[in-house]
Amino acid sequence: MADIALVRAVNTPDDTPGSEPRGYWNTVGDRLMHDRVTLGVSAVLLLIICLAVFAPWAATHDPLQGSVIRRLKPVGTPGFFLGTDETGRDIWSRLVYGGRLSLFCGIAPVVLATMIGGMLGLLAGIGGRLLNNLIMRVVDVFYAFPSVLLAIAICGVIGAGIGNTILSLTIVFIAPIVRVTESLTTQVKTRDFVEAARASAAPLLAIIRHQILPNVLGGILVYATSLVSISIILSAGLSFLGLGVTPPNPEWGLMLNALRQSIFVNPLVAALPGVAIVITSLCFNLLSDGLRSAMDIKLPS
Amino acid sequence: MARFVAFRLCHTVLILFGVSVVAFGLIHLIPGNPLDILLPPEAPKAVVDQLRAEFGFDKPLHVQYLAWVGRVLTGNLGTSVFTGLQVTHELLSALGNTLVLAVPAALLGFTLGTTFGTVAAFNHGRPLDKVFSVIAILGLSMPHYWLGIALVIVFAVLWNALPAAGMGGTGGLPTSWEEIQHMILPVVTLSMIPMGVIGRMVRSTVLEILSHEFPTGLRAKGLRSRQIVFHVLKNAAPPALAVMGLQLGYLLGGSILVETVFNWPGSGQFMNLAIFRRDIPVLQGTVLVLASLFVVINLLVDLVQALIDPRMRR
Amino acid sequence: MTSRTIRGVLAAAFLLSLVASAPSFGQTLRIAMTAADLPTTSGIPNNGGEGYRFLGFPAFDGLIDWDFTHTDEIAGLTPGLATSWKIDDNDHTRWIFTLRDGVKFHDGTDFTADAVIWNLRRLYDEKSPQFDPAASAIVRSFVYMLDRWEQIDPRTIAIHTKTPFSFFPSMVPNILMVSPTQWEKSGRSWTEFAKQPAGTGPFRITRVAPGQFVEMTRNEAYWDKLRIPKLQKMVVIPMPEATTRLAALRSGQVDWIEVPPPDAIPSLKAAGFQISLWPYPHTWPYIFKMTEGSAFSDRRVREALNYAIDRDAIVEFLNGTAKPAYGLYPPDTPYFGAPELRYGYDPEKAKALLKAAGYGSDHPLKVKIMISTSGSGQMLPLPMNEIIQQQVRPIGFDLDFDVVEWGTMLVAKRNPPTAPAGHGVDALNNSLGFADPGVLFRYFSSTTFPPNGINWGNFNDQRVDALLSKAQETFDPAKRTEFLAQAHALVVDEAAWLFVVHDLNPRAMSAKVKGFKPAQSWYQDFTQVTVE
Repeated sequence: MADIALVRAVNTPDDTPGSEPRGYWNTVGDRLMHDRVTLGVSAVLLLIICLAVFAPWAATHDPLQGSVIRRLKPVGTPGFFLGTDETGRDIWSRLVYGGRLSLFCGIAPVVLATMIGGMLGLLAGIGGRLLNNLIMRVVDVFYAFPSVLLAIAICGVIGAGIGNTILSLTIVFIAPIVRVTESLTTQVKTRDFVEAARASAAPLLAIIRHQILPNVLGGILVYATSLVSISIILSAGLSFLGLGVTPPNPEWGLMLNALRQSIFVNPLVAALPGVAIVITSLCFNLLSDGLRSAMDIKLPS
Repeated sequence: MARFVAFRLCHTVLILFGVSVVAFGLIHLIPGNPLDILLPPEAPKAVVDQLRAEFGFDKPLHVQYLAWVGRVLTGNLGTSVFTGLQVTHELLSALGNTLVLAVPAALLGFTLGTTFGTVAAFNHGRPLDKVFSVIAILGLSMPHYWLGIALVIVFAVLWNALPAAGMGGTGGLPTSWEEIQHMILPVVTLSMIPMGVIGRMVRSTVLEILSHEFPTGLRAKGLRSRQIVFHVLKNAAPPALAVMGLQLGYLLGGSILVETVFNWPGSGQFMNLAIFRRDIPVLQGTVLVLASLFVVINLLVDLVQALIDPRMRR
Repeated sequence: MTSRTIRGVLAAAFLLSLVASAPSFGQTLRIAMTAADLPTTSGIPNNGGEGYRFLGFPAFDGLIDWDFTHTDEIAGLTPGLATSWKIDDNDHTRWIFTLRDGVKFHDGTDFTADAVIWNLRRLYDEKSPQFDPAASAIVRSFVYMLDRWEQIDPRTIAIHTKTPFSFFPSMVPNILMVSPTQWEKSGRSWTEFAKQPAGTGPFRITRVAPGQFVEMTRNEAYWDKLRIPKLQKMVVIPMPEATTRLAALRSGQVDWIEVPPPDAIPSLKAAGFQISLWPYPHTWPYIFKMTEGSAFSDRRVREALNYAIDRDAIVEFLNGTAKPAYGLYPPDTPYFGAPELRYGYDPEKAKALLKAAGYGSDHPLKVKIMISTSGSGQMLPLPMNEIIQQQVRPIGFDLDFDVVEWGTMLVAKRNPPTAPAGHGVDALNNSLGFADPGVLFRYFSSTTFPPNGINWGNFNDQRVDALLSKAQETFDPAKRTEFLAQAHALVVDEAAWLFVVHDLNPRAMSAKVKGFKPAQSWYQDFTQVTVE
């Protein structure tokens, strides 16, 4: 999870936005265009997202209707090219529809946590000692709970279901995001150009918008993208324990859980939801790395 | 420096207090109490009520909280509703069992991660970089319990080379080759995530160090490649060690999925069972201890980093 | 030593350990249970049926024991620590037990009338030093009608019930007896006693590794010479994960597992393992909420659902580890009676009934069912319910699920169906047993609505009430069975529940395990089992 060293690795160079915002982002864009791995990964992600969004057209069958006589058919069965699950539903269709829920459970908590946590972190960073302490100590209390533990406990309290899963994951992610944001903000705050801006009596909001935010955003973006992959795996883990999405909704973690009983009958089919999770998660991680690489480069002076 | 330490200690105490409140409150929000699970559904209400009074669950929450805090401060974490054993005792043996997995897993993850990350960084831009990066990242992208199941099937069921579940003995440190065998698959599974995190971390840190150009300067002074690597690692070590420390903390709390798959009687399973059974005394004590451990590890890591890098002191 | 030698030694050690790890403990049976933790070993186990099955009856006896020998009928009663019992004809609340001579506890002390009284006080007398609140609660949940007792002479005890209760003998097996001397020696602590318990059973608990396993050794001096175990040792290990259990069995780590995943059964059979299937008093229903205004208060709707499911398809999904259910009891038991309605898969009839009630596939009836993710006897709740949901959709039922944890469901069950704990569901998917004849009363009497009992659905039928009261006070077994059968027939005709399947108690064991003849019971006899 968040660690100071990670933050240091995201160190932005001295020629930073605030002085030449357009130049920096252009350079980032250029670097991205030449990074084949990141481009490839982004393409794959785009494909997965499209499949999920256009699921009704991409799927071949109703993901909720199965038939006991055609359960656990192997990969390559005519008509069900990825096989069927334990109650006879088409795996491909469920994977595609499942992408919606899994991606949603992966992205939504991170987005929400970034908005809330980012704001809190900024406040803590630029606010005075008191505000900083207040926010950070409360965050520390939540940060003290290992994320899996906290997610399980919260889900145990409020129950299972998509909404509750997203809520509990959001709560879990706010703490690390606040920490990262605050750390980044504090670092930027002490930079010369910020000091200069403050000395010139520029309004606080303008300082935030022009000096602080552009420097901080990159780091947050990188961190948030890596959190998405954790979020996907965590929500799958919650479903594995019976605390996440409820059946019969297709969701990759839930499918993994349901199919693991069938692992001796048809291991390949049972492994498929896991493959989906790995690919998506891997892509988000590589994307995060690519972004970090792109933004880390020293500007040509 | 002393002021910094004192400051952080004060904060730690505050945090622990906050953790105890959250732990207590969270658990009491979960619907149902242990008696609902302990007693057969046919239990008459009179019986349930009597037992509830016995365990003190009928008193108002703040009274229960204060009584609990009072006991905790004397070292008594309470008694399990289900087994009647002391929570402290049970938790410590469960934690011990988890440490038996977590420490080797952290070490294995650290070793593999550092290796992959360093090789990747030194070959930045070349295919080897991508290959090793992806291997490291795979550790992070995979639901590790899923890998665990796959390993069990291959090694235990198909090849009959390693045991499928359990500790093989009576708990605690392994004392026999058989017990070590039982450890192999879960440790490998658990080491996935630390390997991934440390691998990426080390790669980016080494890249940063390499980009500061002093290895070129070192080469100019006549040092050979191996010594350059050594120099780089020496500089990359502190943050990597910090992350390993944090990962250890994470493993202590997050081992539940692996322990479920391998039937390993560790703190994760202990905790999960307690949630399932609403064993409130156990839950409160366990969450408090695990979170406190995490806080203490964080504190130690921060102190060590502050020692090394004055910039970290705030 | 050179590195080559070291490597050679390590390789040899590794290979040797592989051989050694293939277990060969002689006459030891290693069992993996579904319980998540070890049941208590103090004589009154927690963890429900599995607790009593492995750490109850194998190591302890009650005055009356379950009869595991007549496997073709639901397990009845047989003399245990009492050689006979009878009702006092002058006072129908007084039962007289004649105690068995010459029985010794595992610690060598004698089993006496004093010991029986001591054990009763452990469970029913709060003021006694040996009072055990947790054990008391478990026993009193079933044997709530026990009032008081007295010793008539050193070999005879009388026990009183609060009201005349003809089913009382069926409740007595729950009261297992332990050695008072051993408790004294354990420092008067039940926790310490549980580490080295002493009962009278065919096995003696010899080693307790908390959270890991319990080891039992045969009791050579067991009072029932026909049931001295053939095994030397029995080890029980908690393994709640079905796939882990399966892997443990297939890799040879254990010899016997409870409840294998049904999908694994064909491959288990192919690999040479034995699958044991036998009926037992278990049923897996939907308990309909029948309070006013509820969707299921209309009898036509309840009947329609009973005709709308294809039980055979569900049995096929379960790979034959269950059989269809048409009532609380299976049709081949004496308690089934002669109901007018015989359910089966009849979509047309279901549609017609539903239409008469005002619904159809164009205007479906939406109902919410509470299902659990796991739990004792719940089988595979998620896929089974999904199959039912798919089956009934074309008929006009739109099932929505409230998926909860087992604990949450137990809370709901103890409360009235309209209470907040019930989440507003219209039915509860909760498996139930019928091991003793008193169950019909507990499930269907109008006096046992929660929180005073477990008639969660609030089933209320005066004819059934009358029959059940008569049965409770009839001490002639044949006449009592007749009353109960009539009550059951009414329950079936009223479609009080959705009757789905009876579980067949699946277990899987290696080919080396011999001699196991399953009884129709939640408990089993391990004394005749051998491991080659």
